[in-house]
Amino acid sequence: MKTTLRNPYVYLLFVLPTIALYFLFFIYPMLTSVYYGFTNWNGLDTKDFVGFDNFVNAFKDADFRNSIVNNLYILLFSCCVQVPLIVVFSLLISSVKRFQGFYKTTVFMPSILSTSVIGILWGYIYDPDVGLINSILQAFGLEPIYFLADMKWALVSILITNAWQWMGFYIVLILAAILAIPKDIDEAAMIDGATGVQRAWYLTVPLIKPIINVVIMLSIAGALRVVDIVLVMTGGGPAGATDVMASYMVNKAIKYGDYGYGTALSIIIFAFALVLTALYQILIVRRQEKVEY
Amino acid sequence: MEKKLVSVLAVSVAMTAFLAACGNGNDNEGSSASPSASESPSASPSASAPASESASPEKVENFTVSLRHIQIGDAQKFRKAILDDVVKQTEADVPGLKIELDGIEDNVNRFTKLPAEMAAGNPPKIFDVFGGAGDTQKYAKAGRMLDLTPILDELGLKDKFLNGVLDPFSVDGKVYGLPIGGNTEGIFYNTDLFAKYNLNPPTTWDDLIKAADTLKQKGVTPFAVGSKGAWVPNMLVNTFIGRIAGENTNAGFITGASKWNSPDVVAAYQLFADWEKKGYFTKGELGKEYGDMLNDFVAGKAGMMFDGSWRSSAFKNDAVGAAIAGKVAFVSLPAIPNGKGDQTSVNANYGEGYGFSADLNDNELKAVKAFIKNMYSDEMQLRGLLEDGVLPSMQLSDESIAKVTDPIVKQVLDVLKNAGTTFPHFDSVVQSKVYTETETQLQKLIANKATPQQVGDAIQKVQDAENAAAAK
Amino acid sequence: MTATVRKSIPHMVMIAYIVVILAPFLFILFSSFKANNTEIATHPFGLPKKWVFENYKEAWVKAKINVYFFNSLYLALSSAVVGVLLAAATSFAITRMRFNRISSWVYQFVLIGMLIPGNVLFIAQYLLVQKLGILDTHWSLFLPYTAGALPFSVLLIAAFMRSIPHELEEAAVVDGMSVFRMFFQIVLPLTVPALVTVFIVNFLGNWNEYLLSFFFISKDALRTLPSGMVQFRDAFQTNYALVCTGIVFSVLPVLVMYTFLQRKIIEGLTAGSVKG
Repeated sequence: MKTTLRNPYVYLLFVLPTIALYFLFFIYPMLTSVYYGFTNWNGLDTKDFVGFDNFVNAFKDADFRNSIVNNLYILLFSCCVQVPLIVVFSLLISSVKRFQGFYKTTVFMPSILSTSVIGILWGYIYDPDVGLINSILQAFGLEPIYFLADMKWALVSILITNAWQWMGFYIVLILAAILAIPKDIDEAAMIDGATGVQRAWYLTVPLIKPIINVVIMLSIAGALRVVDIVLVMTGGGPAGATDVMASYMVNKAIKYGDYGYGTALSIIIFAFALVLTALYQILIVRRQEKVEY
Repeated sequence: MEKKLVSVLAVSVAMTAFLAACGNGNDNEGSSASPSASESPSASPSASAPASESASPEKVENFTVSLRHIQIGDAQKFRKAILDDVVKQTEADVPGLKIELDGIEDNVNRFTKLPAEMAAGNPPKIFDVFGGAGDTQKYAKAGRMLDLTPILDELGLKDKFLNGVLDPFSVDGKVYGLPIGGNTEGIFYNTDLFAKYNLNPPTTWDDLIKAADTLKQKGVTPFAVGSKGAWVPNMLVNTFIGRIAGENTNAGFITGASKWNSPDVVAAYQLFADWEKKGYFTKGELGKEYGDMLNDFVAGKAGMMFDGSWRSSAFKNDAVGAAIAGKVAFVSLPAIPNGKGDQTSVNANYGEGYGFSADLNDNELKAVKAFIKNMYSDEMQLRGLLEDGVLPSMQLSDESIAKVTDPIVKQVLDVLKNAGTTFPHFDSVVQSKVYTETETQLQKLIANKATPQQVGDAIQKVQDAENAAAAK
Repeated sequence: MTATVRKSIPHMVMIAYIVVILAPFLFILFSSFKANNTEIATHPFGLPKKWVFENYKEAWVKAKINVYFFNSLYLALSSAVVGVLLAAATSFAITRMRFNRISSWVYQFVLIGMLIPGNVLFIAQYLLVQKLGILDTHWSLFLPYTAGALPFSVLLIAAFMRSIPHELEEAAVVDGMSVFRMFFQIVLPLTVPALVTVFIVNFLGNWNEYLLSFFFISKDALRTLPSGMVQFRDAFQTNYALVCTGIVFSVLPVLVMYTFLQRKIIEGLTAGSVKG
């Protein structure tokens, strides 16, 4: 026991590759980001130390504030609309015997497709001239909606596409938890005369709370991570209506050549992630049972 | 269990090995290159050419040179054919050379991909680039682009270019890029639709407005436009500014001689906003691409579009716009009442061309020279004019120009001939940050999120900062 | 409300949801066979009047979807496999080997990565791969993909390994088993559910990745499906039928694979992540 599991060379061999790779692609970029965040580096020749200017400017920047708000919309939509729907659909699928496998397989399907392919696909669904939705609207004699061009609709359109892609993934996770609940509990409740809805709400949901928490955590992380779909579908437009923090950061760095400012924004995004995670842990998880993966 | 594990390990090792192979030597994947080229060691940019190159001319070393172009999609097929021929010729001229083409959409290349590559210091060896402070001059100052002056001298090309067209590509008298051709931005209109509604050609302001109002009334979009990339509506803004604030305005932003928030420039934005309000432009334009604009115009959904003269080749019989071939005419924007300056002046750009990486070895330099020699020749300039409707950036004889038969190209040439003077597009004048801000602000104007005055103020703020930085 | 009606409500709701999932696919599929934009616009739902197969030939020639597809597949696979193995080795070391103080530091250190949204590091990573001289090679994607999955993988696999009773390896040590054999023959097989889950999550993440692949790769032959498809769309934007064909090409193989593997994927995904 002593020698075998205390061999420091083996330990290093097992740990070092991970640590090295992790350090190189996480910690080192984080440190360089902090460094660049305090400069006005333009990607080419200028690189002066500018103190906290970038951070001060970021919060004066109305367009960046707008992108923060958009991120918050996505977050709220994920947690307050998507998660309840996910739970309801999971309960529905778990309640049926026939076609259960078919439902599960089909709802999961979009999550195996590339986000950018989905972005392209839905771009055509939303197209004002030839798109599926507008063709339906026109069949009912309604005016076409310019989904991705209209300030009011663009973000909603992206949210729907994002939900379309990822809801199935979470449904499958929650469904597995529901199906893992011992059957006798449910049967006992059934004998007591509880209706399906009652059993779902009073029995199943409390039992799957840990996994719901996990899904909420993943949704929060996912909301901050949304960027591919925005870049593919709208590029942040029209006029910033769908810009999220990450897409705004990419645009500022690459298109404007403001690498210093861009990295400062990335640090702010990191800070947001920290704060949200901490808040969620403190406010929700700590008060319930400890969630273990 | 052990067996399973070993096989998993084997697979992953194989994967890694394969990855390594792909990382190093797949320059020729997906192209019908000569198979021998795949042993090329020059995949990495730092591969050094043998110093004794000249001593042993028999030794042919295979190498590849990357070339970034923007001639993708059906609308660009004429220009792509010219490029392909130049590439073929260059490969024949330089033994061992294989040119690796990488086609990317214009806007993506100019505003996303190339800037990122320039920052990382690894642009393609040959690339499509624009002139001006925001592009070539910025990269040249940062030492990223090859000084072409000695090559131009060697090939005797310098005096072949038209007067002044090399200026946007020059820094301190040294030339860093070569314009491929020129264009002017003006109005394409559908002569069938104009005849159908008894409209006069839009050569005077009153006729233009009457045409727009009539088309609008008849349920036809007056102007097709695709504003998802704001460079498209920016073309019209640029000419509005030239007409209303005078032809010298655009060139003056960078010196401080003119200001974005001056009353005249704001008036130009106001005119644009008025046209928006009157519904002169395609509905949902902020979601439309540049290609959609042509589509709508070709489909007869719109009576006019404001576009660059390079689009003329789309209306040939074998092109994407064949449906309305022979039914399209081109005019410059008519004089605007009370506009300042010369109202016969038109926009003229020699903004787009090729630049070359400063990081070249001897072999690559040879390839670049051969490419320049083949691309910037009388033959290719004439082909560009005849086949693609792109105005030459080099001097062509009158006989050559007389060969033009395409009616739209003839109209374009007339427009330029009748112009009192020309003015540039501000995208080849101002710094990249300023230009990007004009796009951001114009989209806000279109979305009714900003007033013309706010637009002007916001752009001028960036312009001031950039001018101050440049003066340092 | 009779029992049958009540029983059919879940099915009705689910069928509506299924229609929403499938309709876009059908629309794209039908559009890909249509002659031109006008036909798509006038008959959006119906089958094509005349089945046009030229689009398929054209799309195949114009976009190297097979190349993109293959690049994506092997990058996603290889970095997911390597990531899982690295994470498993590390998890083994920090949960089973007797270096508790260091292990707890290592664990905390790696978990910090969970808090960093991937795209935050994009600019700095771009400069990093450029400095490493691997820009425009598949290494520039393989390494960040592998590294990016590590925090989550270590978290999940370590949690799983902790639940394995210690008696097992005590017996193994008494038998004189080496630490490598213990890892490969005892602990890894017991951890398979977690490994599969991590593998699937990582694979999907890599398969989807667009931002890095767009900026780090400039050679057409090296592009992955996400960035390659976006460029194809940009080039042929207004040729709806052609782009729809491209989508079909890129989606079909995935769906075929999925129909064969769906059971394994879904079970694998849930086996390691949900415990009771």
